[in-house]
Amino acid sequence: MSSHDPNHLHPAVKPQLQPGKYSPKSKNMVMASHGRAPWYGPDGKNVETYVIGIAGGSASGKTSVARAILSALNYVPTVLILSQDSFYCAHTPEQVETAFNNDFDFDHPDAIDTPLFVKCLLDLKQGKATEIPIYSFVHHQRMPEKKYIYGASVIIVEGIMALQSPELRALYDLKVFVNCDSDLMLARRIKRDVKERGRDVDGILDQYLRFVKNSYDNFVQPSSRHADIIVPGSSNQLAIELLVTHVKRQLDTRSLRFRRMLAEAGEEKAKARSRSSTLVDGEGGDDNVVLLEQTNQLLGIMTILRDKTTDRGEFIFHADRLSTIVVERALSLIPCQPKTVKTPLGIDYEGLARDDRLVGISILRSGGPFSHGLRRVIRDVPIGAMLIQSDPRTGEPLLLKSDLPSSIKSRDTSGEVKVLLLDSQMGTGAAAMMAIRVLLDHGVKSTNIIFLTYLITQPAIHSVHRAFPEVKIVTAAIDPELTEMHIPYNPDSLQLGDVAGEADFAVQHIPKSSTNVVHKNGPEHKYENGHGQEEGDDLRGAVKSENELSFDHFKIHVQDTEELKFSRSRSKGVESEKRAWVISPGMGHIGDRYYIS
Amino acid sequence: MSSPNVITTCLPASGSNVHKVELPENALVLSPTRQLQSLLTIIRDEKTQRGDFVLIIRLLVEEGLNHLPVIDKKVTTPTGKVYDGVAFQGRICGVSIMRAGEAMEAGLRDCCRSVRIGKDEETYQPKLFYAKLPDDIAKRYVLLLDPMLATGGSCIKAIEVLLEHGVEEEKILFLNLIASPEGIQKVCTRFPKLRIITAWVDEGLDNNSYIVPGLGDFGDR
Repeated sequence: MSSHDPNHLHPAVKPQLQPGKYSPKSKNMVMASHGRAPWYGPDGKNVETYVIGIAGGSASGKTSVARAILSALNYVPTVLILSQDSFYCAHTPEQVETAFNNDFDFDHPDAIDTPLFVKCLLDLKQGKATEIPIYSFVHHQRMPEKKYIYGASVIIVEGIMALQSPELRALYDLKVFVNCDSDLMLARRIKRDVKERGRDVDGILDQYLRFVKNSYDNFVQPSSRHADIIVPGSSNQLAIELLVTHVKRQLDTRSLRFRRMLAEAGEEKAKARSRSSTLVDGEGGDDNVVLLEQTNQLLGIMTILRDKTTDRGEFIFHADRLSTIVVERALSLIPCQPKTVKTPLGIDYEGLARDDRLVGISILRSGGPFSHGLRRVIRDVPIGAMLIQSDPRTGEPLLLKSDLPSSIKSRDTSGEVKVLLLDSQMGTGAAAMMAIRVLLDHGVKSTNIIFLTYLITQPAIHSVHRAFPEVKIVTAAIDPELTEMHIPYNPDSLQLGDVAGEADFAVQHIPKSSTNVVHKNGPEHKYENGHGQEEGDDLRGAVKSENELSFDHFKIHVQDTEELKFSRSRSKGVESEKRAWVISPGMGHIGDRYYIS
Repeated sequence: MSSPNVITTCLPASGSNVHKVELPENALVLSPTRQLQSLLTIIRDEKTQRGDFVLIIRLLVEEGLNHLPVIDKKVTTPTGKVYDGVAFQGRICGVSIMRAGEAMEAGLRDCCRSVRIGKDEETYQPKLFYAKLPDDIAKRYVLLLDPMLATGGSCIKAIEVLLEHGVEEEKILFLNLIASPEGIQKVCTRFPKLRIITAWVDEGLDNNSYIVPGLGDFGDR
C-alpha cells in the first residue's frame, strides 16, 4: 500500500479531500504490551533484534500480513512496524513542485533514502535508540522533526521496495514477499483510494499506468526472488500461521533466562568469596568499585537502616543522609576542569569546576530515595527514571518504562553526558545491567556511568563488572550473599504490579500447586533447594507484603501492612507464593520502607 | 574508621599551602577531593549566593560526627538475619557563633535529627554579647560552628563560654570551613584536648585580619 497519490492530501488541489482521514504515518506502529525482557546476554552485549522484511505490490496486503504477525506475537513486549513511507528522500523545491503536480514518481527506488533507512534499521537491529525521519504527505517533504524510537523486540519492515536494496536485505532475518495478482491489486487499490482517500477512478488509473505498474513490473515483482517465503495476498491464513510458527520458534531460541544465569554464576563466586573474606572491595581492589569508607557514622546509619524496627520517619531521614554521602563520594569521581574565580577580597583563586553535563537516572521505585539525595547536592540536575520490575513468570527483569533526559535521547549529546545511575540496592545486578544497557544503547559511554547504591552483593558486583568493566560502582556496603525467599500472596486480588518485584528486589511467582517443581526447566530445581530455604519456617517476615506494591509507582496503595510469614508450609488463605531473591542480611525492601508507612 | 591527621590527596591542592603547614595533633583537614575543591571554588567566587554553603558544611558535619563514640549493636534485618552494627553514643548539641555560624545550622540539621542548637555572639573584638545555650549542655558533645577561623579570637571566646557552662574540652568539636594557619595554631595550643575539623587551610591573613584568598565576610554574604 506504499504507492500513493502524491496529491491525495493536498487541499489546495483537491479541496474535497479530508486531510488526516487517512494518514500513511500511522503505518509506523509500535505495539507495546508489558515490559521488555533482557535483550542482551550476561556478557552485556546486545542480542540482535529479529527483523522481518515484507515486500509486495501496492495493495497486495503487506500491511494485513504485518498486522497478522503482530497480533500473533502479542506476547512479545514491543513489536515495531517500520514503514518505508517514512524514508522518502528530502526533496528539492522543484521536486516538491512536481509532487504537487502529480508528476513525481514515488514508486521508483530512488525516491527512498536507502542509506538513512539502512542506518536506522541497523541501529534498531543492534538494539540502539534511533531517530527516524518524519515525512509529510501534506507538504510532500521530510519534516525537520524526528521520531525517537527505542526498545523494539521484533521489527517488521514493510514497503514495496523492502526487498529491493541489498543493504536492507542483509539486515532481515526473514524476508517475506506478498504475492497478489495484478488485477486483484488494482481492484483493491481503486476501492481503497476511492473510499479512504476520496479520489476518482480516472486519477487512480492514470497514476497506476504511469508509475505503479512500471514500478511493480521492474522493481517490486523481481525482488520477490530474494524472499524466503512467498505469501499469497488473499486467503492466506494458513500461510500466516506457518510464518508465525517459524517466527515464534526463532524468538524462543533467542530468549534468555537471564536472572537465573546471573544468580547461578554469582552464587558460586559469592560462596567462595564469603569464605575468604567478609567485606572486600569488589574485584580485589578494583578502582571501579568504590566502597565508602566504613566510618562510625556510616556504620551507625547502616545499622539504623537495616534494623527492621526502625520507623519510617527515621528510615527516611537516614536514607536521605546516606544518599547524600554516596552522591558526594560519586561526584569526586567526576572529572573537573581548572577554574579561576575572584574572591570577595579581589584575589584570584585557582579552583576546580565540575563537568556540568551531569544527569541522574533513578531506577524506580527503590531508586527514588536516591534522587532526593542527589537533589540536595545538585539542585538543578536533570533526573530521569526507568521503571524496571521483575517478570513474575520468569523472574527476569522487565523494562516497563524509561523516561530519559533529552541530553541522553539525542545522539548529539549523549556521548558526553555523565550519568549517575541510582538504585538503593543491587541484588542480582540484573536490573542494574538492564539500566546500563539502556544507557549504552543511547550512546552513553560506559566510562561515563557511575552506579550509586546503598547495598550491593558480591554476585551483583561480579555480574555487572564482568559485563561492563568500565562502569563505576559506588556503594555504602557489600553484603556477601543473596537469599531466596518465598513470600505467600493471594492471587485473587492480583494485579500486574503485585507479583512483579521491582528492580533488584527480584520476585518470581510460583503456583502453589507446584511449589516443589516450579518450571519444567531443569535448573530451577536447584533454587528450590537453595540455601535460603532452611530458614523458611522460622522467618517471620518483616519484608512487607508485596501485595502492597502497585504497578503504578506514583499511586501506592496500602492494603495490609501486617507482617507475613515466609513459611512454605502455610497454606491457609494463601494459594500462591512468590519467590524473591533478597540481599542478606540486607535491609529489606527499601522502596516500601521509604514510601509506605 | 577515619583517623585524624591523615590527609589523603586526590589532586594537587591549588591555592593552598595545606601540605606545607605543620598541623597540630588535634586539627583535621578534610581530604581535598574533587568534589570538595569544586564546592570551595563555588563558595569563594564573589558571585556565589549563600545557599551553596550548606553542601560543604554537611561534609564537615559528617566528618565531625565521625569523632563521636559508638557502641556495638546487633539488629535484626527485615530478612530475619542479624546484623552486627553500631549505635550512636552520646547526645550532641550544635552551637553556632553568630552571625556567620548560623549559616551552618542547616547543614547540621541535614545530618542530625532534632539536634539542639544554641547561640553564641561574637564581634570583631572578642567579647561575649549573648549566649543562649541548652540547659543540659554540660552532658552533651558540642559541635561548635563557625565558618571562618582567622585570628581565632572569637572562637577562643566562644570555647571559654562553653567551658564555663560545664562542657568538657574533649567533647568540643570545632567545625570550620576555611582556616588560617595562625588561627589553627592559636586555638589548638590554647585548647589541646579540643578537636578542630576544617575543610581547607588557606595561605594566611592580610593586614585586616581577613583570610586570604578566603571568601570574604561570611556573615554578610
